[in-house]
Amino acid sequence: MSTHDQIPDAVSLTGVGRIHGKGTAAVTALHDVTVGIRRGSFTAVMGPSGSGKSTFLQCAAGLDRPTSGSVRLGETDLSGLSETGLTELRRERIGFVFQAFNLMPSLTVLENITLPLRLAGRKADRTWLAEIVQRVGLTGRTEHRPAELSGGQQQRVAIARALVTRPEVVFADEPTGALDTVTAKEVLVLLRDTVDAMGQTVVMVTHDPVAASYADEVLFLADGRITDTLTGAGADRIADRMTHLGAWA
Amino acid sequence: MLFLALRTLRARKGGFAGAFVALVCAAALVTACGALLETGLRGDIRIERYAGTDTVVTADQNLHWTKHKKGKTKTKSKPLTERAWLDATAVDTLRAIPGAEVVPELTFSAHVLTAGGRSLDTDGNAWGHAWESARLTPFALREGRAPTAAGEVVLDADLARRADVRVGGTVTVQAGRAPGGYRVVGIAAPPGRDALARQASVFFADVDARRLAGHPGQVASVGLFAAPGADPGTVRAAARKALAGTGAQVRTGTDRGPAEFPAAAKARVTLVSLGGALGGTSLLVAILVVVGTFALSIQQRRREIALLRAIGATPRQIRRMVGREALVVGLIAGALGAFAGLGLARWLHGRFVAFGAMPDTLALKLSPIPLIGAVLLTLLAAWTAARVSVRRAARVRPTEALADAAIERPGLGVARTIGGVLAALGYGVLLLVLSTLDTEPKSTPVTFLTVILAAVAIALLGPLLARAATAVLGLVVGRLSPISGFLAARNARAAAERVAAVVTPLSLAVAMASTILFTQTTASHAAGEQVKAGTLASYTLVAKPGVPGRAAEAARAVPGVEVVTEVLHTLVRAGRDKFAAQGVTPQGVQRTLDPKTRSGSFAALADGTVAVSELAARTKGVGVGDDLRITMGDGVVVTLKVVAVYERGLGFGDLTLPHAVVAAHVDRPAAEAVLVSGTAALARESLQRAMGEFPGVRVLDRGEVEQARRDRAGTQAQVNYVAMGLIIAFTGIAVVNTLVMATSARRREFALLQLVGTTRRQVLRMLRWETGAVLLLAAVLGSLVAYATLTAYSVGMTARAAPYAPPLTYAAVLVAATGLAFVATVVPGRVALRGNPADMMGLRD
Repeated sequence: MSTHDQIPDAVSLTGVGRIHGKGTAAVTALHDVTVGIRRGSFTAVMGPSGSGKSTFLQCAAGLDRPTSGSVRLGETDLSGLSETGLTELRRERIGFVFQAFNLMPSLTVLENITLPLRLAGRKADRTWLAEIVQRVGLTGRTEHRPAELSGGQQQRVAIARALVTRPEVVFADEPTGALDTVTAKEVLVLLRDTVDAMGQTVVMVTHDPVAASYADEVLFLADGRITDTLTGAGADRIADRMTHLGAWA
Repeated sequence: MLFLALRTLRARKGGFAGAFVALVCAAALVTACGALLETGLRGDIRIERYAGTDTVVTADQNLHWTKHKKGKTKTKSKPLTERAWLDATAVDTLRAIPGAEVVPELTFSAHVLTAGGRSLDTDGNAWGHAWESARLTPFALREGRAPTAAGEVVLDADLARRADVRVGGTVTVQAGRAPGGYRVVGIAAPPGRDALARQASVFFADVDARRLAGHPGQVASVGLFAAPGADPGTVRAAARKALAGTGAQVRTGTDRGPAEFPAAAKARVTLVSLGGALGGTSLLVAILVVVGTFALSIQQRRREIALLRAIGATPRQIRRMVGREALVVGLIAGALGAFAGLGLARWLHGRFVAFGAMPDTLALKLSPIPLIGAVLLTLLAAWTAARVSVRRAARVRPTEALADAAIERPGLGVARTIGGVLAALGYGVLLLVLSTLDTEPKSTPVTFLTVILAAVAIALLGPLLARAATAVLGLVVGRLSPISGFLAARNARAAAERVAAVVTPLSLAVAMASTILFTQTTASHAAGEQVKAGTLASYTLVAKPGVPGRAAEAARAVPGVEVVTEVLHTLVRAGRDKFAAQGVTPQGVQRTLDPKTRSGSFAALADGTVAVSELAARTKGVGVGDDLRITMGDGVVVTLKVVAVYERGLGFGDLTLPHAVVAAHVDRPAAEAVLVSGTAALARESLQRAMGEFPGVRVLDRGEVEQARRDRAGTQAQVNYVAMGLIIAFTGIAVVNTLVMATSARRREFALLQLVGTTRRQVLRMLRWETGAVLLLAAVLGSLVAYATLTAYSVGMTARAAPYAPPLTYAAVLVAATGLAFVATVVPGRVALRGNPADMMGLRD
């Protein structure tokens, strides 16, 4: 929430609406969403299936264009960008971690991590790269193929890749959705660590209250609207709030 | 993006195997065709008979005309189909040159016959010469002496062995008007071997040779030697100067080859047009197939591409990545295929020689040019295919990388729909064009282009066709098989894109195979029907080296025989247009042949006249009473008055000339067939008795004639079958390719089906139902395309919409397609079903 007026938000959505399809088949996925993501914060977006949380992430991250309203990344208004402009913006200023199929199976760990740099035609900063690799705990595994890694390790490669361009925001879509609880915890600790130690801004979509409890702030979505926010809450409170959302409320 | 392209290629070899195999095949075919083309354009004709002389003088063996086009004047030359003879005055002119030794050469058909009447020749070649020209090779006597008196011959050593005669024995030689007995006075051989590689040689005394050769006042060619002490170059230059303006050609080096084998020059033209048509068709098929496999591979990599898009690859970068992948695949496949193509070229050359489509004196020319050309063309094909496929790749949306993002299936793009409609319209236009083409060389390439354009339309509009067809089929199949059939129908509908990718090569294979096989049968069936209906003779005399004139005379003397017609075929030109022509004995020909006269009277055919087909009449704008200038096979121009216009040109040739005119202007003047009509009392036995003194001449009744004609049509078609069979095989490979690829990519789907309780057996049965539906759709589409193409072809060639497909052959095409389709889905299907389905679910798709 844009309460801290002196620091500009990393991402801000103003009156964002998104309608999928046309005519009678039209479905409203987002409904007039206005929210600001603080720089250097860890934000979780929660909601039941169909609440619009994925659409929220896509619009905020420049993967999809809202039907109405505007999205700003720092000072940049995304609606003014062309497809290539959006792509370059994602490449330079946004990092992504998806639930699965995060990595190119044909590339090694190191090649996967540096892929955004390669796409941008830039050389990797060796010390920065070494720091990231060390931080995500993949030292000694950089020449492996994704198929040779466990699910948790694969997610760490994805996090390293998301960090490599020093993006303004990292968006994570259910990053622990396909992991067991122990591994999931490691990944969440790592994300938390990037926020605390590196000042990274992270936005994570999840339906798991335990995962959300690692965030500074939790946004609750239901039927395409932000219905509630919690700050610094534990998993139990978040779970309790989830059960009273939307149709069940 | 080359880095990504290379890495993807290494990791996903399977996905590119389809395109790779298709491109290897295309490169091999293009190389082979290029080699044939180059052989046709620049191949050397090996010198045999004239090896002993460095200079040969002949008449002009080409026909020339000037062409006016857009203000430019171009001179075009086409090789004559028979040997042009040289005026004997040239011999005197050459003899006047100081230091020149002149050896005139006569060449005429001369076959040694065995006691049983079998002709001894080498690949159909057996030629008689005067002994004085033995020096041109040079032939030297091994035994005996040179022939000096009439009735004496010298045989080459190989021929003597095959005829089982020695010096002092006698042989029957058929040359001139009748076979005769000759005494063998000597046996000769070229240096170091028993005979020339490609022809049997018989040497006569000068007096016999002159009589048997015909062509009074002319010689076949002249060998020119420099006398001891004289400079060959000077002599040659003097000869050129002395003969300037007479049309005579002074040949040296490899130029002597065409003088020795006029047939090789004709084969060159065939090779050029065949090579062009075959190579062009295979390239187009390759592009089509590679677009299909690339489209499939891109569809299977949607998630990966979406991921790249999400983390910052621009559509342009994706396009470049796919383009580079295609180029790398094209380069490797092109190099490999080009290499394989050299072997293919050798094999094709061997087949063509074996079928008699080209003389093996025309040596296969293998140079790096076809290799380089094939690699470049393969790259071009791959690049074109990639240009088409990348549009699809660049349309993949980055949101597809998200776990629960619904994959929005893009509808049929506007550009694609327009392209498809345009291709379909183009197909229609080509059909119309095809229906106006009335000669084989013009219509054959158009036929292939028509089929390919139809395949392009099917490829572009495929998803629409697939959706429409599966909607109908699904109802039926679902009724028949409630579990497997239901699933199959649902799958086919949902995956219209995949069905379309599979239907395209399958229908192309069916259409291509049907069109190639049945243009042959349509034309030969129509021609055969015409010959059958138009042959009135009750008996036909045939012999391997031809029926000698004296045999025809003997038949005339048989009681009960009323009309005897000698028939001889040749190719002639009227102006620039080439026509198949027959020479027939004019007297009473209307009793043995009925070409179905439209105007004038066929019975009026006599010396100085010609009957023409409707096609020839239309092309040359002549009618009954007009004069027609005809260039005979040896380049001599005759002017004949048109007395009749007839319908059955396909069966009998477009021009019917008096036999004597044709016989005087061909290399082998013996009649190919002699038709005999007589009273009802005429018995086969009496004819056979009369032929007793002509060994090798057989008497056939109508049924036997028909059978012999069918056999002959068969061998002619073989050449086309071999060449075009390669195209069919190529599309077959494409089918297997695409099907294996499409099936192997469905491991996860099969695993899911098994997890929810579908048995392996049910999954396989579902796969079979799907394949059946796809096959039915492809067979219907392919057959429709072929039927329309063949109908247009038939209208053009025979003026009747009567495509003819032997039912058994058609069934074989369908059975082959079915076999291929099932093997290529069920085998990879079984492989995909191996292993634990739960593990499969975790695998990447």
